[in-house]
Amino acid sequence: MSVNNKQPHVPQTTGHVWDGDLQEYNNPLPNWWLIAFYMTVVFAIVYWFMYPAWPIGRTHTKGLMMITYTNNQGITKTVHWNTRALLMKETNEAVAAQKPYYDKIASTPFEDIAKDPELNSFVLSAGKMLFSDNCAPCHQQGGAGKFGLAPNLTDDDWLWGGHYKEIQQTITDGRHGYMPPFGTVLSDVQMTQLADYILSFEKIPVNPASAQAGNALFHSETAACYYCHGADAKGRVVHGSANLTDGIWLWANVPGAKTIADKEDAIKKVITGGLNKGVMPTWKNRLSAEQIKLLTVYEHDLGGGQ
Amino acid sequence: MTATEISSNEQYNFEVVKKFAFMAIIWGLIGMSIGVYIASELAWPIMNMDIPYITFGRLRPAHTSSVIFGFGGSALFATSYYIVQRTCQARLFGEGLATFTFWGWQAAIVLADISYMLGYTQAREYAEMEWPIDLLIEVTWVSYLIVFVGTIMKRKQPHIYVANWFFLSFILATALLHTFNNLAVPISLFSMKSYSLFAGTQDAMTQWWYGHNAVGFFLTAAFLGMMYYFVPKQAGRPIYSYRLSIVHFWALSFLYMWVGAHHLHWTALPDWTSTLAATFSIMLLLPSWGGMINGIMTLSGAWDKLRTDPIMRFMIVALSFYGMATFEGPLMALKDVNALSHYTDWTVGHVHSGALGWVAMITFGSLYHMIPKLWNTKIWSEKLIGIHFWLATIGVLMYITAMWISGITQGLMWRAFDQYGNLQYSFVESVAAMHPLYVMRAFGGMFFLTGMVLMATNIMMTIRQGGRAAAISPAVKLASAGV
Repeated sequence: MSVNNKQPHVPQTTGHVWDGDLQEYNNPLPNWWLIAFYMTVVFAIVYWFMYPAWPIGRTHTKGLMMITYTNNQGITKTVHWNTRALLMKETNEAVAAQKPYYDKIASTPFEDIAKDPELNSFVLSAGKMLFSDNCAPCHQQGGAGKFGLAPNLTDDDWLWGGHYKEIQQTITDGRHGYMPPFGTVLSDVQMTQLADYILSFEKIPVNPASAQAGNALFHSETAACYYCHGADAKGRVVHGSANLTDGIWLWANVPGAKTIADKEDAIKKVITGGLNKGVMPTWKNRLSAEQIKLLTVYEHDLGGGQ
Repeated sequence: MTATEISSNEQYNFEVVKKFAFMAIIWGLIGMSIGVYIASELAWPIMNMDIPYITFGRLRPAHTSSVIFGFGGSALFATSYYIVQRTCQARLFGEGLATFTFWGWQAAIVLADISYMLGYTQAREYAEMEWPIDLLIEVTWVSYLIVFVGTIMKRKQPHIYVANWFFLSFILATALLHTFNNLAVPISLFSMKSYSLFAGTQDAMTQWWYGHNAVGFFLTAAFLGMMYYFVPKQAGRPIYSYRLSIVHFWALSFLYMWVGAHHLHWTALPDWTSTLAATFSIMLLLPSWGGMINGIMTLSGAWDKLRTDPIMRFMIVALSFYGMATFEGPLMALKDVNALSHYTDWTVGHVHSGALGWVAMITFGSLYHMIPKLWNTKIWSEKLIGIHFWLATIGVLMYITAMWISGITQGLMWRAFDQYGNLQYSFVESVAAMHPLYVMRAFGGMFFLTGMVLMATNIMMTIRQGGRAAAISPAVKLASAGV
């Protein structure tokens, strides 16, 4: 069957026929194809001479390429090219390039860092990435915070203080805000009175008599709100207690509530259950002291630093 | 030696071919619909609807399994059974066994998709099926091998046609890959979960040896087999070069096995392994192109068919995308290019230029050729094939353009440093930059899916038409309900 070619007008076919009309020409390999294939083989062989390539027993060919790097102990080494050395070289070079800036940050007082244009420009550059990688997941890109999760860092309201030292401590050791539940201590009417008192700071037209009663309760020993939130209800940095007079809300969804009753309920919910969610983790194990100092300056300058 | 358009149903087992061809269409619809949905989820995350079963992470393997194994796999079973019978002039070996491969394969994909949505996965890309499903696939696949080899052994043709070499290498390699990548110890007989036999880098290496050869033998060699039969058939011309087919077949089979590690550049993988993978990938370029040259050159002298024959157009465009994707692949396998492209959408675009452009297009062409022949009729609408062709081509181009731009943008943003050596962009900024491109990608997918819907309509009408004609001739038995 293979030799009996009945189609002499196509002499280049192999002579095989399948399924009625399937045939094959026997054209030679295209020259360009063959040459290009050989070129890829040559490329591969050159590559094998240059880089680690073929395994031999328990080791492998190391290649001609060398790499010189300085390791963490400051010792300079030249070794055959490998990815570990390459990573160490690139990382250490990058760290070394930034070292003068970090050294200067460590030795410069907070107030003077922002005054040095070169240093300030470095803070903005490094701060943006440190903030994006570490802070933004909760405080959001740009630091505007997220209701019910993390406070806005760009306004003038500071739970734990907006001075350099306070911010630095917040980042270094973290914070844990706590408010005890009052659901079993106070009656529903009392909680409504307290809510009305707080809402009256925002000029919301609540029942004046109720707000008046709330005022008394706030400063009484029954509710004792003033212990933490202060006699002026403006909060105390030492407790991380909120300023209740500025219309800024993190946990009680007052801005989102439409009616006065809903706003009262939002506040009463917090009073009833208390709060144990305001946790900021510690960063001292993850970031260096210089990085935290740099972030402090960056954060301070985001807005409202004191 | 004469053209033998024999009344086929007695001589050949076309029942199982019809079943698989029909299911290829169904899985195409399902798999591509899921693809469009998850692409839309990435563009508009609200479409997750907080329902765990339909989140991206669970639907994504359902998409890949449905299109690769459901659509692609069923099309390969159908065409390989069709081709091996016609080119060996022999009826399929093992009647019941062939039918079993159909039910076993379909069951495996249905079970796989359901289990993914319920949250079961081995977390091995393209091999996400848990061990009980792996066993079902194993049994099915070995049956496939027996049917295929059995048919070749009883052939009435002295020579084995080139398409069958490719199919055989695909079946053998897939059996090998599937077995070794899924070696695992179940936690208990009644648990879906298991522990892999390998650990750490070796486990990753085994997975990508599997992963890339799934691309190499499942999505490349097997579809080249399809190409080697349907392109010369449709063109009515001999294959361009027998010699080229031999050389590129062996080169492809030999070289593919080495390259999987290029998926693991710049990881804990040893450097020498990385180098070998990169260089073998480069050497793979021309052997891959051998198939493209053989396909496209087969048409030389009959280029006018491109104007008149939409099926031929599908095949030639498929070969062009094949050539493009197999050029892009070795490029991306170079360590320095990979440093930019890895973990970006460029990879996703590359896969889809192969999957949509090559695999799906050559399948469309082949099914349009084969299905009317199976049902002894003509295609219901030539015009609809033409429209399908344009929808599919526009869809692929939109898809891969969007992913190239988005991938390279990601790669560049992730490694952009300012004058102090600090990163210029945070990760989330790169995510935000992707949004318009994800929208574009979803629309590209919609074009492609619309084409698939037209095809399904066209094929169903063709089958009905064939059924009506056959009803006149009681000698030809046809399955009801289109299968």
